[in-house]
Amino acid sequence: MSIGKNIAHDSGASHVTGSSIFIDDRVDSINEVFVGIVTSKIAKGKLLNIKMKRALAHKNCLGVYTSKDLAAKKWGAIFHDQPILVEEDISYFDEACAIIASDDRSKVLEIVKLVELETKEEKPTLTISEARALDDYVYKAPKPFSQGDIKKGFEDSEHILEGEFICGGQEHFYMESQAAVAIPVENGQMQVHASSQHPSETQRVVAEALGVPFHKVVCVVKRMGGGFGGKESQAAPIAAYAAIVASKLNRPTRLILTKDEDMKITGKRHPFENTYKVGFDKDGRILSLKVHLQADAGAYTDLSSSILERAMFHTDGAYYLENCEISGISYRTNNSSNTAYRGFGGPQGNMTIESIIEDIANYLNKDAYEIRRLNIYEGDKTLTPYGQELENNMLPALFDGLYKSCDYQKRLSEIEKFNNLKTGKIRGISMSATKFGIAFTARFLNQGSALVNLQLDATVQASTGATEMGQGVNTKIQQIISHAFGIEPKDIIVMSTSTEKNHNTSPTAASSGSDINGAAALDACNKIKGRLTELVKLIFSGVESDAIIELEIKKGSLDPDIVFENNKVKQLSSGKEIDLKELINSAYFNRISLGGYSHYKTPGLGFCKDRIEGKAFNYYTQGVAVSEVQVCEYTGDLKVLRSDIYMDLGRPLNPGIDKGQVTGAFVQGMGWVTTENLVYADSGELKTYSPTTYKIPNIQDTPRVFNVDFITNNDNECNVHRSKAVGEPPFLLGTSVWTAIKHALSYRADSKQMNLKSPATGEEILTELQRLKNGK
Amino acid sequence: MRKNIVIYLNGSREEISAENSFMTTAEFLRYKKGLTGTKVVCSEGDCGACTILVSRFVNGKLGPYKSLNSCISFLYLLDRCHLITVEGVGEISHMHPVQESMLKCHGAQCGYCTPGIVCALAQMGNDLKNSGKIQTEKKVKNYLSGNLCRCTGYEPIIQAGMDIELDKVETFESIYDDKEIEKNLALLDAEVSISTDKKSVYLPKDFSNALEFKENNKDLIITSGATDLGVVENKGKINIQKSMTLNNIDSAYKVDDTKDFISIGAKVSLTEVENACERDFLEFSKKLHIFASPQIKNTATLVGNIINASPISDTVPFLRVAQAKLKLSSKSSSREVDINDFIKEGYKQLDLKQDEVVESVIIPKTQQKFKLYKVSIRKDLDISTVTFACRYKLNGDVLEDFSLAFGGVGAYVLRATDIETKAKGMKFTQENFKKLSLEVRNIITPMSDHRGSAEYRYQLCENLLLKFCDEVLSETRGSIVEASI
Repeated sequence: MSIGKNIAHDSGASHVTGSSIFIDDRVDSINEVFVGIVTSKIAKGKLLNIKMKRALAHKNCLGVYTSKDLAAKKWGAIFHDQPILVEEDISYFDEACAIIASDDRSKVLEIVKLVELETKEEKPTLTISEARALDDYVYKAPKPFSQGDIKKGFEDSEHILEGEFICGGQEHFYMESQAAVAIPVENGQMQVHASSQHPSETQRVVAEALGVPFHKVVCVVKRMGGGFGGKESQAAPIAAYAAIVASKLNRPTRLILTKDEDMKITGKRHPFENTYKVGFDKDGRILSLKVHLQADAGAYTDLSSSILERAMFHTDGAYYLENCEISGISYRTNNSSNTAYRGFGGPQGNMTIESIIEDIANYLNKDAYEIRRLNIYEGDKTLTPYGQELENNMLPALFDGLYKSCDYQKRLSEIEKFNNLKTGKIRGISMSATKFGIAFTARFLNQGSALVNLQLDATVQASTGATEMGQGVNTKIQQIISHAFGIEPKDIIVMSTSTEKNHNTSPTAASSGSDINGAAALDACNKIKGRLTELVKLIFSGVESDAIIELEIKKGSLDPDIVFENNKVKQLSSGKEIDLKELINSAYFNRISLGGYSHYKTPGLGFCKDRIEGKAFNYYTQGVAVSEVQVCEYTGDLKVLRSDIYMDLGRPLNPGIDKGQVTGAFVQGMGWVTTENLVYADSGELKTYSPTTYKIPNIQDTPRVFNVDFITNNDNECNVHRSKAVGEPPFLLGTSVWTAIKHALSYRADSKQMNLKSPATGEEILTELQRLKNGK
Repeated sequence: MRKNIVIYLNGSREEISAENSFMTTAEFLRYKKGLTGTKVVCSEGDCGACTILVSRFVNGKLGPYKSLNSCISFLYLLDRCHLITVEGVGEISHMHPVQESMLKCHGAQCGYCTPGIVCALAQMGNDLKNSGKIQTEKKVKNYLSGNLCRCTGYEPIIQAGMDIELDKVETFESIYDDKEIEKNLALLDAEVSISTDKKSVYLPKDFSNALEFKENNKDLIITSGATDLGVVENKGKINIQKSMTLNNIDSAYKVDDTKDFISIGAKVSLTEVENACERDFLEFSKKLHIFASPQIKNTATLVGNIINASPISDTVPFLRVAQAKLKLSSKSSSREVDINDFIKEGYKQLDLKQDEVVESVIIPKTQQKFKLYKVSIRKDLDISTVTFACRYKLNGDVLEDFSLAFGGVGAYVLRATDIETKAKGMKFTQENFKKLSLEVRNIITPMSDHRGSAEYRYQLCENLLLKFCDEVLSETRGSIVEASI
């Protein structure tokens, strides 16, 4: 009924009127306590002593708590290697060392400053090269992804280029900073309201910190004011801080990070420094490629191993690599512990090959599109470097379609003319692509669940394992249920995600929220529908119930003859129909369950990273983008003149929501590669920790012309209603802005190899231009 | 003399207690009134999530409703104002056309920036309705350049702005019966004094009150829009204990536009300066356009920007080359001083006596032309890495007069007199400017920070001189000159 329709976001009305409730909008409880975090002011060293006397003397201070107050000292998404609060070893600047409790919200920061940390400083490792010199890493891929014979490939190559691709980290800058409210319930139980993408992880970390079994903690997530991966793992310790205070004082407790604290304390996207050697023929066909990926994991493992792997999985980009070897390592440094961020390493891998292609084009003095088109997966060239076949390959159609619709050829020749005028401005144009693998590469995470409860008035309350962070997963689930029962979306409310309704949930991440939880919701609906179908057939056959006779059904199963539409249930063969509400009431009085719980697992997945074989992904979301930019040669200033995006999203469940995901991810990706520059002091302290100094794109930075279109694809049979995941893939297309800058600079490079780093800030652009012009 | 702050909030009168007067407006709304639609993200007026609309009572009338960052605005600064929050724009059962459009166009994803966006767009709707104009994409973007959104990529929001059904918009002036509010505000004494055991503020009703109070309280801080002081107080870097604000002095809002000069009162907002300078100082007006967000410009003042004395001020380079004058008054005397003398060498050093108050800025009109450049990491809504301002006069191909100032290259906004001397009388050629640009390194002393390295700043200053040269040559010849870069 509403699948594929552009209906409004289920929280849209409350969002636009300011009535949506976020964590800090919750009404204060009587006796509420507020928490502050005391952080280290060195990046590496020993925590010798915590002096809390002055803080405790403050009239609004209720307590200062340290690692001694924790039942479990460490947490971690993959390995438990990160202290919840520092015990002895400080591993990054602004690492949490103690927490304070205050009865006055406005006094929290004042009290935090009164806690003194005695520390002994050691020399920190702040860069990838420093960590490499120490051979200090959190994870090294056991085996490179390789295909063919790179040695022979290089021997066969007419040209060989070697170089590096360096990209910076990225702050999530979700608008709602990390936040949690913990409410002690009777008998040692704790209820936690968190701004978390991963309620189950939050529940478990809280329970471990408190030293109570998991069943004593419930984590509830109504919504987040943005997540982007930043609240996948790192929301958990924040909730634990609130819970510890709540437990110690037996009072409701609230912890709301300021934006400054959030940016300083929490991890970011991983910076990468990748090296490559590429062999190619005179046309630019890649004959051999060797890439080594080096990530900065920061202080702890967090999700770094999976992120490195996803970077390796995406180093092929959209291109077939006959002979290749992709290796990777994630180094340990004394930066904040880097974590999941939309794309999850994918962008860092994908952008490497897009950069290499710009280098090949510049070297051969050819247009990069030609090189790209020559190398994409096509025909029988569909085997990836990790042994999975690219099925349902839409790349050739996407490339050709966008090349034509965006008038690439004509614009390229206009750009050439413009650049020859030497006006002090140079323009560039570039296409980049994404072929994003959909599935958690950790197989066990590919499971979702849903609880669907039908009320007697034919409305529905549903709960799933997915969390809503603005991406519209709840709206899509609403649509799936609406379609299943033939009722209006407004008659369905997707309730808060809660670990007491959906347990052992996977993080809402990897673009998979709607895929796995939507499929579970559909299955839960079908279980109820199966019972109602059997019941309605009895009713239509004239069987009646009374005080003695009750209508009995067996397991229940769907029947194509019985359809649920427009609040009615119809039997096609007989033309009989009944109001859904009447049928539901009949089911209730005949004691037939109107609730459905279902668990879903993505079938057919299994990948072995020691043998590099199996199926890592369920399917791929693919897309291309062309961006045109203008660079000022005096200042390095950048303007994005136009971007065109063309994506394969299967049959979108909600085209309006999906388009918003595409434009949002694209602009976020564009920010990562242009203005979003993380700057650290020599001490390891982050200097760009607020929007005054850390510049995410503004409305004026969006492409002057911005077109988004979807290709028709009805064949994605392996996902719910033939849709495709959309959250992360378009992020990778934002990099077309960066490759376009690189293309622009090539007009002043005189075929010299370019060393443009990401982000291409004005300074980076001007410095690189100056270098190219000076012939260094 | 009144002893409390009075505001109207979504149409209802609020008398604010002394303690609450010193809260930021956002804190008051959220934690005292339960109006949690207003969000606080950055606490520094940079993201716009806390945007509300404010109409100020000046000269017996409520002024236009304008967006403001409530997170850095102390409540006492809004005495005699009508505040409209997102809750006052419209409710679920009765949405404002802006809200309907935002809903329909998927303008909200996570919802956290949304209330601020709705308020900023509601100002646009109100302005358009009052002026009988219609929206354009450019206007939508301009009204929203002070609102960050991390989810949507702005495209759906721009669409929402374009799709607002203006014929359904009812103005806030009519919805909230401004006439009635004005009548009640007129009954209030404009002179206010508030104090608690920790903080005090005085709101004089005219300049003579202000000067007398300053004479007796030399250590007080004058707060105006608090677009900087509000930030540093929020971040715990200062604690303003004793303050005075000129907000209730009607005459301070005056712009005097004469044949020879434009005089700008102490309380004239940058938005108004941008409009006032459009005819005679178009280049300056255009720079103010990207200076900061509408929210900041609606409340920040030109005088505030000068007195803040930041080396990265965006207005001071222009004011220096324009040879603006400041009118400084104390209880016993009054003087006019050239801004070039007012700004002294060293970080935040001004020729301002402890008992003096800046009444106005006077910009003399000139036949000479200006060129102003600002380089920042992000074009709009960013603090400059380097600013460049010059005033010049050509006589044929000779540069007859030339004044030059740089910001962001030292402890204060620098007037480059050495370069000016060398340039005056010089033939206006690319070769000469290339030579001139090499002098930059001798006079500026930039530092490296998160906005850029010292070397980048050197390079920028050199290149901006070349850019200036090339642009002027193109303009005088009427065709594009091959860049000298």
